This record gives sequence, structure tokens and C-alpha cells, in this order.
Amino acid sequence: MSEIAAKAPTRPRRRLIASRLVPYLLLQALIVIVTILGIRLLQPSDPDDYAVSDFSAREDGLTRPVTLPHFTSSRYSLADPPFYTGTFTFRSGDAASGWSVYLPRFSNAVEVAVNGVVVLDSRRDANANRSDRNTPQIAVIPASLLREGANEITVRLFVWGPLKGFLDTVYVGPDAALRPAYETRTLLFVTLPVVFSAWQAILAVILAIMWLMRRHESVYGVLATAMVLGVVQAFAPPPVPPATVSHLAAVLLASAPIESALIVAFGALFFGWRWPRYGTLLFVPGLAVFVIGLIGGPPLPRILFLMLGIPTVGLCLFLMACITAIAVVRRQDAASFMIGCAVTIVLTCWMQDMLTVLEIVNNDRIFVSRLSYSAMLVAIGAGLTWRFARALNQVDSFAGQLVTRVREAEERLKASFAREEERARAAALANERTRLMRDLHDGLGGQLVSIVALSERGSAGATITDAARAALKDLRLVIDSMDDIGGDLMLALGSWRERATAQLRPHDITLDWRVATPQGLPLHPELRPWHVIQIVRILDEAVTNAVKHAQARRIAVTIDTFDAGQGPYGVISVTDDGSGFALAGNGEAAGAGQTARGLRNMKSRAARCGAVLDLASDASGTRVRLKLPQRFPDSDMAVG
Amino acid sequence: MTEQGETGEAITILLVEDDAPTCWRLQDALAKAGYEVRSASTLAEARQALSAGAPRVLLTDLRLPDGHGVELIREMRQRFPDTEIMVISALGDEESVISAITVGATGYLLKDAFPTDIATTVRDLVAGHSPISASIARFIVRRTQGAAQTSAEPPPGPALNTAKLTPREIDILWGIAKGFSYAEIASHLGLSKQTVPGHIKNIYRKLEVHTRSEAVFEAVQQGLIKL
Repeated sequence: MSEIAAKAPTRPRRRLIASRLVPYLLLQALIVIVTILGIRLLQPSDPDDYAVSDFSAREDGLTRPVTLPHFTSSRYSLADPPFYTGTFTFRSGDAASGWSVYLPRFSNAVEVAVNGVVVLDSRRDANANRSDRNTPQIAVIPASLLREGANEITVRLFVWGPLKGFLDTVYVGPDAALRPAYETRTLLFVTLPVVFSAWQAILAVILAIMWLMRRHESVYGVLATAMVLGVVQAFAPPPVPPATVSHLAAVLLASAPIESALIVAFGALFFGWRWPRYGTLLFVPGLAVFVIGLIGGPPLPRILFLMLGIPTVGLCLFLMACITAIAVVRRQDAASFMIGCAVTIVLTCWMQDMLTVLEIVNNDRIFVSRLSYSAMLVAIGAGLTWRFARALNQVDSFAGQLVTRVREAEERLKASFAREEERARAAALANERTRLMRDLHDGLGGQLVSIVALSERGSAGATITDAARAALKDLRLVIDSMDDIGGDLMLALGSWRERATAQLRPHDITLDWRVATPQGLPLHPELRPWHVIQIVRILDEAVTNAVKHAQARRIAVTIDTFDAGQGPYGVISVTDDGSGFALAGNGEAAGAGQTARGLRNMKSRAARCGAVLDLASDASGTRVRLKLPQRFPDSDMAVG
Repeated sequence: MTEQGETGEAITILLVEDDAPTCWRLQDALAKAGYEVRSASTLAEARQALSAGAPRVLLTDLRLPDGHGVELIREMRQRFPDTEIMVISALGDEESVISAITVGATGYLLKDAFPTDIATTVRDLVAGHSPISASIARFIVRRTQGAAQTSAEPPPGPALNTAKLTPREIDILWGIAKGFSYAEIASHLGLSKQTVPGHIKNIYRKLEVHTRSEAVFEAVQQGLIKL
């Protein structure tokens, strides 16, 4: 079952590959045909009226009649070059303009003489020495040389192997008739490559800068290197064989295979592949040609180039075609498609050149690979620059999006923060409400109920007055305790002192107030209103007990601060000179139930805010000692 | 026994309170102490009573049927600057008391205070002793702390400008807020006990919001406005 599941996707995938590859290959075939036709059609035409093709050639001491175009055998020596002798007819009536001799194609160099006088030596023209550039030559024949009727023209064809020598038809005629054909060829095979090379040089600089700024994008570096090599190859003057040992020759010869290997590397990197280690082998032929060119004598590198370099170029182009084909199948994007088509064109041109070299196709020995390769590089470079600009645009829009996103996130955060704050506020309010309710219930509520009860019973005015006063006092306490006192309990005790004094005044009881330290109690930033209310109620209870049950005449409140090494803590003592009350063994008052309940209340209140209540009572008075905690608890320690 | 002022005449008090039982209670306590008490239950009645002459003391509730006691206090301060003014309050909460102080009142009287305390408070007031309660002192000193922190949000509660208070006055307020007696404060601060009430009187005057004309005068004095 799992096997089926595993195999199932492969068939659709294969189908998908086929459905993508077949149209692509068909398109490439079409491009091949179009390219071949294009090369045929765009073959520059020559003025056939002035063709001189019947020559007698002397080669290796042998003289025989030949018809141009003519191939000679390959040779490595400049001594005794093939020598062509022919005749042409000059009619002075045509000599409105000067006469010229025009050689559309030859390899490798020619020396042309008319009537025994040399009028042209192509070896002095750097461009003409490039066998890959199809450079034409034209020379004006000085009028004094020309004789009415038959004239002799001789051509020495210098050949430096390994390719065979080649001499295309020679044209002799009025300059005006020959020059347009010459100009067309110059434009196509001299000027255009120079333009491409200049363009390539500019792109090389741009790509090199991109690579320098973005080292991780090695694809730019690879392409820049390829272009620099191409430019060097295009502009360096080619060595002409008497200047035999030239290191430059090695560089120029090695450039083509190295460039093509670089292009393969570029393709792999561009389509996001990892450059395999064995891929370096592609550079070996080029480097071999280079090294041997540096060491060896003149013929060897050229032979090596023919044997190694050119097949390498072909192999690289083939690899590149494969890479792009895979990329097309996988990516189906414009870039891979365009590069694929370009590679096919170059590959076609290379094959055409091969056929020409091997004389399978007679093409007047016009080489087109270098030209098409330059054009392809320029196209790729332009494409890369375009891609770079597009990436910049993407970065811009990404930055814009990022700004928007950040703003949105900020908004959301703000909103959630506000929500959270709102929730916290609501929670705080609810807590406060609970506390207030409890506090009012503890004091005011009960007191009001007792007022109601007393009034209903028709009780005496004084009891009701006391209950109402107690209710008012409690209300003030609750309000007072809500005030922010900044953790200073003394501020709450100050108000309490006032209220207690007013309460005691009608009973003629003195309230002694003694604060041991000038600043009073230590500060407690954690002090909350409900702590304050408990402490104040404890003190109230102590004072009430002293007044109501102990008949005290004097009450003293002492506020002390101690420090046992673990931070300061306060102690509030309420002492009276009343009759006191007997304490049972469990620490609770044995006397009246109300006092007992009062004491229990005081203890539980103290426990809630982490304080310790200490009671001592005898006939000479009562002492309530409230030891405050070093730190007030955050929540009720005892629920009650 | 009749309470008499420096001139020997009976001290007159105008009592403005709309709740009749409370009014009777206070009136009884003050009359028993020998003061001459006139009472009014509305702002209109109070103004009518003022037309007969200025009382020595004005005791007024803040919430009145036809307006707010603050208006009456303000009028009083402008027309009769020598009259001592006190607010009658049920709870003595700073919300009502501070707003009265800023228009010129001096302290407050609790509605349920014992009769003797009522009489004592008024006597002290007439004698030039301005009482200040611990909770009001606390509110003022907490506000001076808030002003020092320069928080962007205005503090809760009634508006109060504490900028004019001197450090010494603030120290005295701290003492009162923490429940110390005048004597204790004086000894802590190295003052004579007799000077403390004077300081408190100054505090009251400094907390009073000046009228517009006074503000202009002060601005001219300080060179802020050039005439």
C-alpha cells in the first residue's frame, strides 16, 4: 500500500516533466533551424562581377591551377607560403574612381602584390590576425601600377596551423563597387564585436561591483570574471607568428575554454544549484592550454587548443543547455527560458563553426560562435542587472510592507495593552468594592442596624446617639483609610489620634500620645488601605474597651520602632489605667462575652495583616501591644 | 455667660445650614456658649442676613438648596475680609473642605461634634487660632509631594496650589498630619509653641486662590506684566 502511495506521485511527475520538456525542446529545434537559416540569409553578398577566382597556386614547390575559394594544407612555418598567381583585366575607361583589391576572407594572413608591387599586408592589421573574426581586407591599387588590359595579381597566404589555410575569392575592380561589400563585412565582423566587447566591459564592471558589495552572491563574480576574460581576449593584440614565443598567445587561446567553463558555473549558481566539487574539472582543459602556452613553443598550444579547447567549449555549451533545460522544467520562468534559447543559439553557431572547420559545410569559413557568445553574455548581463533592479524594488516594497506591519503590530499591541490595563483597572475596582463592602459591613452596616433596632424598641436617646456616633466614626475611618498615605502609617494614626481625642473628651479621659522617634513608624510601600483599616480598628477596639469596660481615666498610646537586624518594625502599644480583666488560660477574657468577642476580633484583625497582638491585663490596667510586621502581606493571611 | 469680642460686644455668628435638626443642634451649642447666632437655611436667606451687617464668624454648609456654600464664602471674603469662615461638614472629607479653603475658609466643623467641642473650636477661631485637622494637613502635604514629582496627570481631588508654602510650613503640616501636637511640632522644629498657630494661619491664606485683581497685582509686582 505504501509502495503504491510512493509510486503514485512519480507518474504524474513524469508526465509533468514531459509536458514541460517536449514543448521546450520543440522550441529549441525551431530556434536551431531559424539560426541556421539566419546565418545563411545574412551571409554578406559580394560584388560577383569583379571576382577573380582562377589562380595558379604554388604550394610546396608544386604549381597547379586552382579555383578560389581554396584550402591549403595546415602548416606551422611561415617560410615558403602558398603563392597564388592570377590575372585580371583593367580597362582605363572604368577608372573614374581608383581600383581596389578586396579580400573578403582568408586565413591566416595575406600579402597581395599587383604587377609585382606589394599593395597589402594583412599581418599589420591586428584584427585581421584573428582567425575567429572573419576580418575582410581592402587595398587601393595605385593607378601607376595598373596597365591597360591584363594585370598580374599575386597573393601570398601565410598559414599558422593547425587549421588549414583558406583563401576566398579575390575581387578586383573599381573601389566604389567593392567598398560597400567591404564595409558591410567590417561592420558585421569587426565593429560589432568591438561594440559587444565594450558593452561586455561595462557590464563586467557593474557585475564586479555588485559582487564586491554582495560577496555571497558569487554568481555575479563568476559572470564578471567570464566577461573580463572575454574583454581581454577581444582587445589584446594577437601575436603574429614571427614574434613566436608570446605569453599573450597562451592567454588568448586559453580564454575560450575557461570562459565557457565559467558560464557553466554561472548557470549552475544562477539556477540555485550547489557547484559540485568535480565541476572544477571543467576548468582543467583551459588551464592546461594556458600553462602549456606559457611553457611550450608556438605550435603546441594551438594544437592543444584545437584538440582540447574547442571540444571543451562545445561540452560546456552542451552542459549549459542541459542545465537550462532542467531549470525550465523545474522553474518555468522567463529567465531560464531566455537563457535556454540564448544557449541554443550559441550551441548552434558552435556546431556550424565545427562543420565549417571540418569542411563539411562550405560556409566561406565565416565563424559565428564568438559573435553569438558575446551577444549572449551581453543579454545575460542585462538580464542580471534587470533582476538586481527588480530585487531592489522588492526590497523597497518589502521595507514598506515591514513599516506597515510594524505599525499594525504596534497598534495591536497598544490595543491589547489598553485592554489589559482596562482589565486590571476593572479588577482593582472590583477588589476595592469587595473590600469596601466588607469594611462597611463590619462597621457601619451593623451600627445602622443596631440604631434601627434601638429606635424600634423606643430605647433611650443616649444609646442611639452612641450607635449613630459609632457609625459616623466608622464611615470617616473607611473614607480616611482609602486615602493614599504613601506607606506612612503615621499619617493614618494622626487622623485616628484626632478622632480618638474627640471621642475621649466627653468621658474626661486623657489620651497620652508618645512617639519614640521623630519620624514615627518605618515606611511601608506595600501598605494598603485594608491594612490601615484593620490596624485602626484594633486601636479603636482597645480604646473602646478601656472606656467602656475598664473605666480607665488615662490612656497612653506609644509608638516605637525596633530593629532586630532584619529591618525595622513598628510597635504600637495602648495602655490604660483601668481595672483590667481576668485572662483565662487560653488568653481570652473570662469576663463579659462582649469583651471576649472584642479581643478575638482584635487578634484576628492583627493576624490578617501579619501583625502580632499581645495582651496583658491585671487590676492596675491593660496593655495591648501590636507588633507590626516588617512587611505587610499582599492578601489576607487569615480569611475571616 | 456671653462670649465677647475685643470691643466688648457679643460675638455674632451666621449659621447657614439647610438641615433643620443639625441647625438646631449647632445653634443650641453655640447659643449656650454665649454667642449671638443668626441662622439661615438657604443662600438667599444668608445674603439677606448679611445686609444687616457683617457677622464675626460665618459657619456654612456647602450643599445648600439654592446654591453652593463656596459662592457664599467667596462673597464673604470680598465684602467682609475680617469675618472668620468655617465649613460645616458631615465627614470632614478633603473634597469639600479643600475647595472651601481655596476660597477663604479656615478649617471645618464636624456636624456631630460634641457641643463643648463646637464652642471651643469657634472660640479658638475668633482668638486667631486656625485649627487644621490631620486629614487636611495630610492632603496638603501629599499634594506638595505630588507637585515635586511633576507628573503629567493632575492629581485626583480638588485643585490646590501648594507652590507658595515654605519648607517650614510644610514641616508643620507634616507634624500635624502625623498626629503630633503643636508643642511636639514646635520642639521638633526648634520653634516657640506660640508661633505655630500663626504659621497655620499663613498656610490657610497661601492656599486661598487670589481674585483676578490680586493676580494682576502680583504679576505686575513680579514684572511679568508691563503696564
